[in-house]
Amino acid sequence: PALAKENNCLNAAKACNLNDTCKKYRSAYISPCTSRVSMAEVCNKRKCHKALRQFFDKVPPKHSYGMLFCSCPLGDQLACSERRRQTIVPACSYEDKEKPNCLALQASCKTNYICRSRLADFFTNCQPEPRSLSGCLKENYADCLLSYSGLIGTVMTPNYLRSPKISVSPFCDCSSSGNSKEECDRFTEFFTDNACLRNAIQAFGNGTDVSVWQPMPPV
Amino acid sequence: TERSSRGRGDRKRKIHLNFTDLGLGYRTKEELIFRYCSGPCFDAETNYDKILNNLTHNKKLDKETPSRTCCRPIAFDDDISFLDDSLEYHTLKKHSAKKCACV
Repeated sequence: PALAKENNCLNAAKACNLNDTCKKYRSAYISPCTSRVSMAEVCNKRKCHKALRQFFDKVPPKHSYGMLFCSCPLGDQLACSERRRQTIVPACSYEDKEKPNCLALQASCKTNYICRSRLADFFTNCQPEPRSLSGCLKENYADCLLSYSGLIGTVMTPNYLRSPKISVSPFCDCSSSGNSKEECDRFTEFFTDNACLRNAIQAFGNGTDVSVWQPMPPV
Repeated sequence: TERSSRGRGDRKRKIHLNFTDLGLGYRTKEELIFRYCSGPCFDAETNYDKILNNLTHNKKLDKETPSRTCCRPIAFDDDISFLDDSLEYHTLKKHSAKKCACV
């Protein structure tokens, strides 16, 4: 097809399957995340989460971030944005029968050692700062993206929302927050409307912030 | 022409393909490296193979042609997964060779 638009998310998937490490750990999470275990459960969520954490722990960011933070043309282009949304196999790793309240989800995250520490890292490393050029308090996009991807495979697993601009959220909302409505909104906005995180994702997607790309050990 | 080449003839080769080239009916734009085994196996032949060869030649086996030593995978590559055009994931197992031998 002459002059077909480049699909960065597709290109990242191709690059992954041509790399032995990425290919191995990609199929190692897609398998459990897509295998039905019973009539009631679409998959074993615990195994899916564990394999997703392994993928981001073991695969070099060039490939893992390449798929997770690939850039898609403005507006929703199905072939690209939907593919990006599918990276974590949301039907298993993200969606649930009921959408919990975000503060309740945060409380359940705090009872788990891995989730608690990774959520704390995310809040530290992706803290927005409107006065800084990068949009971040800690001007280090790599640390922000590392902390964000570290949440994948915990109960706080975030994913892209179907929105024209880049917006992510864990699977929860602020309905029935009672007196804590404001606190809950602040929590969700740190995901959905965070300029630091958005700039970090865009910078990686556009390849504009190459200088900070050092492979980093997982937290 | 039935001269065996030097060394063990079996070899692993690889080719870069589209999933659609595999002919398994998937619709996707993803790609893969396919590894396969190829090469002659005369060096590895046993008396069993020589006997089969002679019997076939002398037409003692009726119409049967039992297979002789073949260069085949003895281990397979890791599974491979891909997303198809309707946004469904698929995983292929035992699709590509990891180790070859004359068997």
